[in-house]
Amino acid sequence: MKYRLVSGLETHVELATATKIFCGCTTAFGGSPNTHCCPVCTGQPGALPVLNKKVVEYAIRAGLATHCTINTTTHLDRKNYCYPDLPKAYQISQFDKPLCEHGYVELESGKRIGITRIHIEEDAGKLVHESGFTYVDYNRGGVPLIEIVSEPDISSPEEAKEYVEKLQLIMRYIGVSDCKMQEGSMRCDVNISVMPEGATEFGTRTEIKNMNSISYIEKAMAYEYERQIEVIEGGGKIVQATLRYDEHTGETSVMRTKEDAQDYRYFPEPDILTVVIPESKVEEIKNSLPELPTDKLHRYIDELKINPATAKLLYKYKRVCDFAERAFALGAGVKNTVNLIVGTLYSKLETEEDKEKFVLPVSADEMAALVKLVDDGKINITLAQKTLSAMAEEGKPVSAYIKPEDIAGMDDGELESICRQAVEANAGAVADFKAGKEKAIFALYGFVKKATQGKADIKKADEIIKKLILG
Amino acid sequence: MSVTQKEIKTLARLSRLEFSDGEIEKFAPEFEEIIEFANKINEQVEGDTGSIREVVSRTVKWEDLREDEVKESLPNEKITSNVQAEGGYFPVRRVVK
Ligand SMILES: [Zn+2]
Repeated sequence: MKYRLVSGLETHVELATATKIFCGCTTAFGGSPNTHCCPVCTGQPGALPVLNKKVVEYAIRAGLATHCTINTTTHLDRKNYCYPDLPKAYQISQFDKPLCEHGYVELESGKRIGITRIHIEEDAGKLVHESGFTYVDYNRGGVPLIEIVSEPDISSPEEAKEYVEKLQLIMRYIGVSDCKMQEGSMRCDVNISVMPEGATEFGTRTEIKNMNSISYIEKAMAYEYERQIEVIEGGGKIVQATLRYDEHTGETSVMRTKEDAQDYRYFPEPDILTVVIPESKVEEIKNSLPELPTDKLHRYIDELKINPATAKLLYKYKRVCDFAERAFALGAGVKNTVNLIVGTLYSKLETEEDKEKFVLPVSADEMAALVKLVDDGKINITLAQKTLSAMAEEGKPVSAYIKPEDIAGMDDGELESICRQAVEANAGAVADFKAGKEKAIFALYGFVKKATQGKADIKKADEIIKKLILG
Repeated sequence: MSVTQKEIKTLARLSRLEFSDGEIEKFAPEFEEIIEFANKINEQVEGDTGSIREVVSRTVKWEDLREDEVKESLPNEKITSNVQAEGGYFPVRRVVK
């Protein structure tokens, strides 16, 4: 029998605010243990939380960017559980009135993964387990999170990967989070069940907690899919449970089953009043959203006529796009700009993070100046690549490498005279070319390149040479 | 609302308190009385927790939310002054196996 995989993700995203959700303590990563703490975020009696405006704003941004409706009257709730990472013995979260609901993220195939809800909540502290003790650091306690809950629309590990990557990209574009999975600013709980092809009822689901890498999510899903089928085929029943994934063995194991599931006794948070968000504020946030990744990708391909493979290499990094678009605005041609970015600048930016940050000492103005020389046929692409490479390393302007006289000297007349010399000096190659050996013409290109120190536009030289040879 | 001895034991464990079986037996009915008393509030709203929501649902205006400006946190000695901190951490009984 064939089985369908049915999966939904709960994704926690740490918001890039300066302060925590209910107090003015910094959200800076790291720091000595328990130094980013105050009475509010350590739950001292009598301390009162005050909601951070930016948290609400960022959550609305995230909601709008994923096509959610915004509940302009929203409140917070207490989720009660007793664990040392929660100093108050409850987490302030949202239960029945999340800030955002009913959105979606569109995959490349056009398939939409529904977003059930996005709510705001506080992060817990960090626990370090060492030699018989557990040590608690509350620096992270109270850092604002949004939890993005998807519909069970995901039907393969590949779709899960694409969904998480898309979410990551959207959140980075709109500037609400850096979504660094390895630093824990983005983590996923994965719900999985299987059902026979054609069945109408979902199977019993399990939940794999706290995944912090996309490739582990894929692997864990694939493993759990096979495991559940094996249980069912063997006549067994899937037990609803919370699982943990062991990255070393590649297997899932049970953390707790439904029987020991906790009753969180949610109730409205009495210390925080219901928040009323003016419609005009939502409108203002909507208008401040940048072009979203999918829209940008389509515009690059359809309007700017960038080839899809190159467009995909660009749109993943917002800063790169901003740089390219500034160069376009300064008159640089699209094709030469993007080819130089992907061909030359990317070779200086090895990791994803390097490209994400895009820190190079080349300004958009200098980039545009260089590209325009190529566009106008003043220098060829090879020289442009060499120049850009040097610019990226040394941080000097185009004028430090290409002098006005270099460009001025390369007028059509001079190029023609050099081409003439090339033809005269390479009689053998010319004869071969005439006899049908097309590759023989490379000897003449070589001559021209050498004579002009790489400045000549080979396309133009090619035209002239062919005219000289073939008449 | 009846309170079982098992619930008392759970509460005691979470509160890091130790009681003899005799004490627990005595506590169960006492707890029940306390909860009965608190339940009078529910009776007032006739089991309609929606109206409790009404009571707490005073609203806060957008302008009155907190601006995202960093304030100084407390020094570690102060935050951990009620415990015997180790390396700045709060040590607790190990919570995972
Ligand atoms: Zn604090």
